Amino acid sequence: MTASDSFSDSAILQVFDALIFQQSGEGFVCRGELPSWCPPPGARSLTEFHPEVLLTQSFFLQHVIQEAQSWWASDQSGVWKSGLWSEPDVFGEEAVFEAIAVREKDIPYLIIQRFGPDMVPVQPLLQKAREEQLSHRQSLQQHEQREAQLGSQLARSEQERDDVMAVLDRLGLGTILVDATDRITFISRTAQDLLQREASDIIGHSLQTGLPWPKEFSALLHAQEELPDDCRGPASVVLDRKGAPSLSLDIEMRDDPRDPLRKILFLKDVTEVHELRRQLVGQTHFFRLIGKSPAMRAIYEQIQDVAMVDAPVLIQGETGTGKELVARALHEGSPRKDRPFVAVNCAGLTDSLLGSQLFGHKRGAFTGAIQDHEGFFEAADGGTLLLDEIGDMPLPIQTTLLRVLQEGEIIRLGESRPRSVNVRVLAATHQDLQALVQAGRFRSDLLYRIRVARLRLPALRERREDIPLLSMAFLEQGRAAIGKLGIHDIAPTAMQQLLRYPWPGNVRELKAAVEFALIHCRGTNIQPSDLPPEFEESGHPVLSHPSPVAARDERQAIMEALQQVNGRRIQAAKLLGMSRSTFYRRLRELDIPIES
Amino acid sequence: MKQKKICLLGGFAVGKTSLVRRLVSGLFSEKYLTTIGVKIDQKMVTIHDHSLLLVLWDLYGDDDYQKVRASYLQGSSGYILVIDGTRPETIDVAIRLHQTARQVVGTVPYVLLLNKHDLAEDWKVDPATLGELSRQACLVAKVSAKTGDGVESAFSALAEAMLNGS
Repeated sequence: MTASDSFSDSAILQVFDALIFQQSGEGFVCRGELPSWCPPPGARSLTEFHPEVLLTQSFFLQHVIQEAQSWWASDQSGVWKSGLWSEPDVFGEEAVFEAIAVREKDIPYLIIQRFGPDMVPVQPLLQKAREEQLSHRQSLQQHEQREAQLGSQLARSEQERDDVMAVLDRLGLGTILVDATDRITFISRTAQDLLQREASDIIGHSLQTGLPWPKEFSALLHAQEELPDDCRGPASVVLDRKGAPSLSLDIEMRDDPRDPLRKILFLKDVTEVHELRRQLVGQTHFFRLIGKSPAMRAIYEQIQDVAMVDAPVLIQGETGTGKELVARALHEGSPRKDRPFVAVNCAGLTDSLLGSQLFGHKRGAFTGAIQDHEGFFEAADGGTLLLDEIGDMPLPIQTTLLRVLQEGEIIRLGESRPRSVNVRVLAATHQDLQALVQAGRFRSDLLYRIRVARLRLPALRERREDIPLLSMAFLEQGRAAIGKLGIHDIAPTAMQQLLRYPWPGNVRELKAAVEFALIHCRGTNIQPSDLPPEFEESGHPVLSHPSPVAARDERQAIMEALQQVNGRRIQAAKLLGMSRSTFYRRLRELDIPIES
Repeated sequence: MKQKKICLLGGFAVGKTSLVRRLVSGLFSEKYLTTIGVKIDQKMVTIHDHSLLLVLWDLYGDDDYQKVRASYLQGSSGYILVIDGTRPETIDVAIRLHQTARQVVGTVPYVLLLNKHDLAEDWKVDPATLGELSRQACLVAKVSAKTGDGVESAFSALAEAMLNGS
């Protein structure tokens, strides 16, 4: 038996079911039994099949033979494997093969194995490993995408939160977020500044114990937490701060819209407001108004509120209550304070004269109009115009005024060109304008236009507690003006009389009475005897509306006063302790010719 | 008739077998079937009136489980580097195989294919970032074995480059 026979006859090779070539000269010959897959399915007959053809026609086997030749030429022991390959065989059948080169007793053999589709042992393992790798990568990619999305959402949310916080900080509003277990989860920069605490010292602490509230306030906050959202109001607390003035805070608690168990606290520094309020409570003067009675404090607060609103205001009050002073306070407390304040009395003037005064006229517009004239509206441009005694304004002028208020334009008499004016209009009256409307003497539409805001001044008899303060203020003003600096007080008995008097002429009458007393006083204190004669009857209330007899006396007094000052009406009004507007009104009511 | 050996190189599941199948039989399968060993196919192409038989050696994907034998590249007239445009990590495999090919067959023409261009939403690879790999290639193309976009022209470009170089 030759070596080759022994190899090819080996029973082991039968088991491999392989095609075996033995190198013979320059070529190869097939040895042993043909494997079961030779010829392959589809071969037309056994005689057509020549296994050696495989070696020349297979692109891969050509490569294999080159590699195997090198290996055979080397002294390496063992076997050389080509690795798996697949290609159509000579009959066009796709198959998987592997070639193995061996050397048996120096004779080279090439063994070719063929694998069916399910016979490559590594295939399922590799398939599974790579599928898992792809699947893992896909889920990783999905996680990365989700992470990127969440990151983007987070960035947007943080941006929105920062924007909101910036707005809240800009508004001076501090914010604190509290979770369902009452622990602080967030505190804004403004809140940290207000409370003089760093976030790191506060986050995680209880709302009741983690912040510098007084115990009572903590209890109040706790109670608020129990209330429904719409039942909570702002809670005020004053905090003592190291090295800084006390801090007044208004704290408003709201449910988190997304989770009612979480709370949002808004902190607003109201120290300045509280200070102003405190000052207002003890205030005796407000601009040029004097008084500390509750009624006047209420007026001061109303003036503060209304001054900043650029809307018409109707100031109502009896004569002498200080309507023009209120108008000036409204002007001086408004953004228009650096622009003109013009007061015009609407009583006692004819239609044409009042129209000319208010709206101006062109030269030649009427007899006596010798030059162009700017009206009060133009004079007050950018500022404030007080229309005093507006209830006495003639109806034609009311009509024009209404148009001016609506259009913001005036037309001078004799002109057709409208002129824009920017004027805040204040109106004052002692009359009941609603009654005038019903009587047909005042336009209802004008009334609605001018009473966007309203202030009603109290009569002096409604704030008698201010009489000592007012009296002393007038004493101080008057003694310097009159030159009686030695007078520095009012005797208690005289003050009693002042307090009992009904003051139909209100503050103006009080001022005149004090000046009268100053003139007559010969000591250092004003005595009852220094007061005007009407105070002798101070035990008997004076009628607020003059009786016919009183009217006769008043008419006589006015005539005498006019005569005394040679017809100069303003001086006559001053002599009588009346405002110019009241004086004119009384002239008309008492049928005293204006030119008299 | 001239014949040229072309190797398809790239990481696993970049679509080498699908590109060959699209070229040879015009078919595509969504199912991923990993290639074991080397798969030999042929494609006759005509370049400027010259018939050319492309012998396509679709080599198994190179990864930790299977390393491509350098000897398989011997005798190649050109090669195709395939990158999965949705998996940037396949660029590194392509670079490594490119270096291997250069060592074995020297400077022969190759094309660089960014496959799976149909998956535009998941696309991750910017051709501008491929550096030397793209500069030395005779063609860099976004292709899709699924739709067939760019496949035939890519093989033709390589065939033409091989003919011009021979």
